[in-house]
Amino acid sequence: MKRTTDKKPESFSPEDRQMKTYSLVELVKAPTPMADHGPDDTIFAFPIVAIMELLLTLGVILALLLMSLAVNAPLEEIANPIITTDPAKAPWYFMGLQEMLEHGHPTLMAILMPTLMVLFVIAIPYLDHTPAGKGIWFTSKRGKRIVLFTAIYVCLAMPAYILLDTSFPIREILRGQLPDFVLNVVFPAIIMSVIVLLPLLVLLRYQPNAREVMLALFTVLFLSAIVFTLTGFLFRGPGFELYWPWNMPGDYSPWDNL
Amino acid sequence: MSTNESTKPLSRRSFLGLAWAGSLSLIFAQAVIATLKFIKPISTGGFGGLVYAGKLATFSINSVNRILAGRFYISRTEEGVIALWQKCPHLGCAVPWNEQEGIFHCPCHGSTFDRVGELLGGPAPRAMSYFPVEVVDDEIWVDTGHPVDRSHHDPSHLTKI
Amino acid sequence: MSKLINFITRSRVWRSFFRHGWPDNPLDRSLVMTTNIFFHLHPVKVRRKSLRATYSFGLGIISVIVFTVLSITGLLLMFYYAPTIERAYSYILTLQTRVPFGQLLRNLHRWGAHLMVIVVVLHMARVFYTGAYKPPREFNWVVGVLLLILTLGASFTGYLLPWDQLAYWAITVGTSVAGYEPIMGSAIKAALLGGPEVGQEALTRFYALHVMLIPGVIALLTSLHLWRVRKDGGLAVQDPAEEDKE
Repeated sequence: MKRTTDKKPESFSPEDRQMKTYSLVELVKAPTPMADHGPDDTIFAFPIVAIMELLLTLGVILALLLMSLAVNAPLEEIANPIITTDPAKAPWYFMGLQEMLEHGHPTLMAILMPTLMVLFVIAIPYLDHTPAGKGIWFTSKRGKRIVLFTAIYVCLAMPAYILLDTSFPIREILRGQLPDFVLNVVFPAIIMSVIVLLPLLVLLRYQPNAREVMLALFTVLFLSAIVFTLTGFLFRGPGFELYWPWNMPGDYSPWDNL
Repeated sequence: MSTNESTKPLSRRSFLGLAWAGSLSLIFAQAVIATLKFIKPISTGGFGGLVYAGKLATFSINSVNRILAGRFYISRTEEGVIALWQKCPHLGCAVPWNEQEGIFHCPCHGSTFDRVGELLGGPAPRAMSYFPVEVVDDEIWVDTGHPVDRSHHDPSHLTKI
Repeated sequence: MSKLINFITRSRVWRSFFRHGWPDNPLDRSLVMTTNIFFHLHPVKVRRKSLRATYSFGLGIISVIVFTVLSITGLLLMFYYAPTIERAYSYILTLQTRVPFGQLLRNLHRWGAHLMVIVVVLHMARVFYTGAYKPPREFNWVVGVLLLILTLGASFTGYLLPWDQLAYWAITVGTSVAGYEPIMGSAIKAALLGGPEVGQEALTRFYALHVMLIPGVIALLTSLHLWRVRKDGGLAVQDPAEEDKE
């Protein structure tokens, strides 16, 4: 901006100009957006991003159209409050919850545990706030191994628990001998906590950092949710008993519930 | 203002600020309460009043019969009759009576109940609820407006005949 | 031809719409992003690395696309639907048998809903495993979790609307779970159902939640989510300085 210099503003009298009009107020230790960063390899977002979005849109619509032409959305008889369908299942994404209900008291299995899980997921960035390793899948080679081993563990432990608890249900065997509270709340809570926390205890022996603890814990919870969802959705048939999905009794097929 | 700030407990400016903040939160709070009251369902009872189940003679001893209109079962034992609400205390599925097994077997999660609604197995936390029964002139009337929740079955829940 | 194009693009009307020239130079390519409402959620420049398909798999953008498809198909389905327990089911039958493309539209909405749940969950897993929740993106992670919960809510409330056996018992089981919450459980269940069991009141309430409240909040939070992505410096990628160290 150009200031006309022929007329001096009154506040900038010569005396004022000799005084320093600025001073250092405070030093703040905080990262600036660009400090310590190398040159970024950036390109203009237009048109490349717009083109990618257009292609993705076309792809998604094509996939949905093909699916919709191939398979019709299910529709059963009109709702009847007197007759329950057998089995009666929640929408597939809540089948994990319904499967959990099979193994303990509803307040523990369907309220407490999912709430804890959601709270943990929300808290993740506040528990692990180290900037290192962002933008890389699994952060490091070690992170990759942790996720792999945890994943294998969950895929073995959780189905094993579901099978064992279904074939030898402690609740039924000891019914009447111990209080219901112990059988339905205390026992399942202890078993679940042990299964979930076991990989963490193993990991703690290797001095993990916060990110690695998060990797293990999130993998346990995420894959457990998937295992429970798939079990409830695919492997539960009439009477909510376990069957192979391709070998359901009667004309029931789990895919009809989508 | 010329008066010393520290001797004054509350300046006019901050008093007005607090007053505004307080009134606004009160207005907000009452709007929230009003909304909650609005959302709360107006009908909270069961689905009906007295339902006629049938003549007593039509229910033989040790039989379980479904009364579709009232959504309950009339179960008659040697001691008396009980009107069991069909709703599973676990997750609200309608529990069908399985004649071969001689038990109520819920298809949702496999809870089982005996003929008077006592919990036998499965994830349900308690016995089936029942409706109060009145026997007038050999006719069974069931009050479906007042279901009774119970943790276990007790012989006093049966209506003597 | 070029004269005609010139005439159109120089006209007062055209220039009142578009405040940038043909985007073949850095200035106009920046102006496209900053002056167009649909593009302004994007940054002007993006890191080449963040565009790699195997890094993000485009899952966030796919969720937005599927949400848009669901909004459009859902709005069209509303033309042939009313949430009453006497008529809802027959409306669906009419839609499927008599309305041209009705079945196709319902299929698109149904499979789109399932796809959205899957894509949003995968998006969360991607963000977690690439460590993209780390500072300064903590708050956006929280918004993302809320969006996931809302997506489940939108799908769940829509599940009841066909009023068939599948819908009725799925919602009966689903809402009974809420009743076990020790403090507010029965109040939440009653507020959702509007009565002691799934009936007309529940259908009305689920319809209102499904077509109005939940999609509205999703749209609002999605805007916040995308705006935050841009404000926090685009997709999280490895710092170039760190990359050199390796």
